[in-house]
Amino acid sequence: MSEPKEIFVRLDRCMGCHSCELACAVAHSESRSLYGAIAEQPRPKARVYVESVTPRTPVPILCRQCEDAPCMHACIAGAIRRTEEGVVITQSDKCIGCWTCVMVCPYGVIGRQTEEHKAYRCDRCPDLAAPACVDACPTRALVYRSVKDFSRDTRQAASAGMLGAQRG
Amino acid sequence: MASCEKRYVIVGASAAGMAAAEAIRAIDKRGSITVFSDEPDPPYFRPLIPFLISGKKSAADMTLVGQGPYCGAGIDVRLNSRVEKIDSWAQTLDIPGGERVAYDKLLIATGSRSYIPPEIEGTDTEGVFALRTLADARAAARRVESTQHAVMLGGGMLNLKASFALLERGLQVTLVVQSPQVLSQLMEPEDATLIRNALNNAGLKIETGAGARRILSNGNGVSGVLLDDGRIIGCEMVCIGKGVRPNVAFAGLEEIRIDGGVVVDRFAACSAGNVYAAGDAAVTFDPITGGRIVTGLWTNAVEMGKCAGYNMAGRHAEYGGTFGILNATQVADVPFVSMGIVHTTGRNYETHVSSSRNAYRKVVFSPEGTRLVGVLLVGDISRAGLYRFVIKERMPIAKLKSNIIDHTLHYGHFMCP
Repeated sequence: MSEPKEIFVRLDRCMGCHSCELACAVAHSESRSLYGAIAEQPRPKARVYVESVTPRTPVPILCRQCEDAPCMHACIAGAIRRTEEGVVITQSDKCIGCWTCVMVCPYGVIGRQTEEHKAYRCDRCPDLAAPACVDACPTRALVYRSVKDFSRDTRQAASAGMLGAQRG
Repeated sequence: MASCEKRYVIVGASAAGMAAAEAIRAIDKRGSITVFSDEPDPPYFRPLIPFLISGKKSAADMTLVGQGPYCGAGIDVRLNSRVEKIDSWAQTLDIPGGERVAYDKLLIATGSRSYIPPEIEGTDTEGVFALRTLADARAAARRVESTQHAVMLGGGMLNLKASFALLERGLQVTLVVQSPQVLSQLMEPEDATLIRNALNNAGLKIETGAGARRILSNGNGVSGVLLDDGRIIGCEMVCIGKGVRPNVAFAGLEEIRIDGGVVVDRFAACSAGNVYAAGDAAVTFDPITGGRIVTGLWTNAVEMGKCAGYNMAGRHAEYGGTFGILNATQVADVPFVSMGIVHTTGRNYETHVSSSRNAYRKVVFSPEGTRLVGVLLVGDISRAGLYRFVIKERMPIAKLKSNIIDHTLHYGHFMCP
C-alpha cells in the first residue's frame, strides 16, 4: 500500500483567497456544483477555515486527523471513528449533536450543522483523487502528499537554495 | 497459556473499563483481557439511554463494541458478573458462583450509582426512577405508557435530557429544582437565562427553590410528590437526578486507599500494587485548582481509562487531570459549553460577560488576569476546544487575551503568535 497522504499547509504561500473554503463547501453539497450549492438548504458548509492573525497573515486551518484524536475518544455516542485510510470521520446517523467533540477539538475545526443538529468536519473527500481544497488552491499553499514525500521536497528545495547561494 | 502472557482483569465494562481494555490491547497483543460487568447488557454508550425512553434509539443502537474507537478485539466481557471481593495481596478476585480469578494487573472501573437523597420519603415506590442503566431506561420507558405527568427531581444534565425524552413521548413534565435556577452546577443563575427561556418554550414546567419531602403512592405506584412547602404535584412517574456517587462498596478494598472514591496517583495506580482505578470510581485532580475531584463524565472516564490501560500494559502515561466542570450539550435549540471555573459571584476572578439576544458568554481569568480558568459559552460555542486547551495547558495568554474575551480566538493565533 502506498504511504498515507496528509494535507500540508505552506503558510508562506497562502494569499487568503478563500478558494479552498468555497471548493470544500461545493464538494460537500448535494449538487456538487457552485451554482447548485448556492441555492441549497441547508447551505453547504466548508470544513476548512481561512482565518487571519493580521490582515497580512492568512492561515488555513483544517482537521489534522490527530493520531490520538480527542474527538473520537470523547464522543459519547460512538459516532466518530477512524477509517482504514486513517481519516477520522463523524457518522451523521450516529451523531446526537451533543457537541462534546466541539468542546475538545484543540484546533476548533468541528462545525455544527444546526439545521440537522449534527457535527460536521473534514472527511478528506473520499470520492475524489485529492481533497477539493487542495485542488482549488491557486498557489499550492495546500498540498496533499505523504509525510515522506513532503519532507523530501522540503529538503531538496532547501538544498537547492543553499547551492544557488553558494554559486552566487 | 504461556506464563509470560499477562492476565489483565477489569471490573466494570463502561467508559473507563472499555477504554482501558482497548488501550491495553493496542500495546499488548497477547495478554488476556477479561472485563466483568454486573449488568445484563453488553457494553453500551451510557449517555444515550434517554433515547431509549424517547424511542429515538434502540438498545442495539447504543452498543459500544464495534463503534467509534472500540474494536473489542480479544476482549472477553463477562456479563451478569458482579465482583464481590478483591484480594490485592493474593491478586485474585471473587465472582458469584464461587469462581476465583487471578490477575497480574487489575483495574477498578466500577463507575458510580445514582444518589438518592435519604431525606425524601418513598423513593422505593414503583414508578420512581434514577436513570443510570439500560435496565433503568427500559423500566422507565414502560412506565411512560401509563403516565400522563412526570416530575423530575433535580435540574442537572441528566434530568434535562430525560425531561426532553419524556416531552417527546407526549408527557407533561415538571422539573423541581432546589436551586434558584436549572443547571446550577454548570453555571450561575444569571448565566442560564437563555437556557431557561428555551426550556420554558419547549413546554417544560419548572419549579425552582423547591424540594420534595415525600413521594406519594396508591395501588398503581407513584401518585404524586409532596413538596417542602406543602404543595402536592400529582404525577405517575418520578425521576431523581441528584448526582452520582462512586461505586466502591465491595469487600477487599482494605488494602486500597479510599477517600470519596479510589485514590490514585497521576498514573492511575492505587495504593496497592498492580491495582489501578479510573472513571467515576476514582478520585482525580483538577489542573486549575489542584483540588481533588470525582467526576461523573463519560469523556473524563475514557481519558482516564486509556491512561490506566497504557500503564497497566507497561507504557508510561500520565493523566493530566480534568476540570470539575467540562460539559457540552444542547438544550432545546440552545447549545452550551461550560468548563473550568464559571461560578464567580463573591470570588475574586477577573470576569468578562457578554450578552446578546441569542448568545451569552462568560470568560473567567485568574485574579491577576494572567491565566484563563473558565469559559461558559451559550448559543455560540464555536471553537470551544481552543479554550479548553488554553485552560488545561495553563498557557500564557498575554497577547491572546482580547481574542479570548471577544471569542475571536482561532488556531492561527497559536501558529503565528
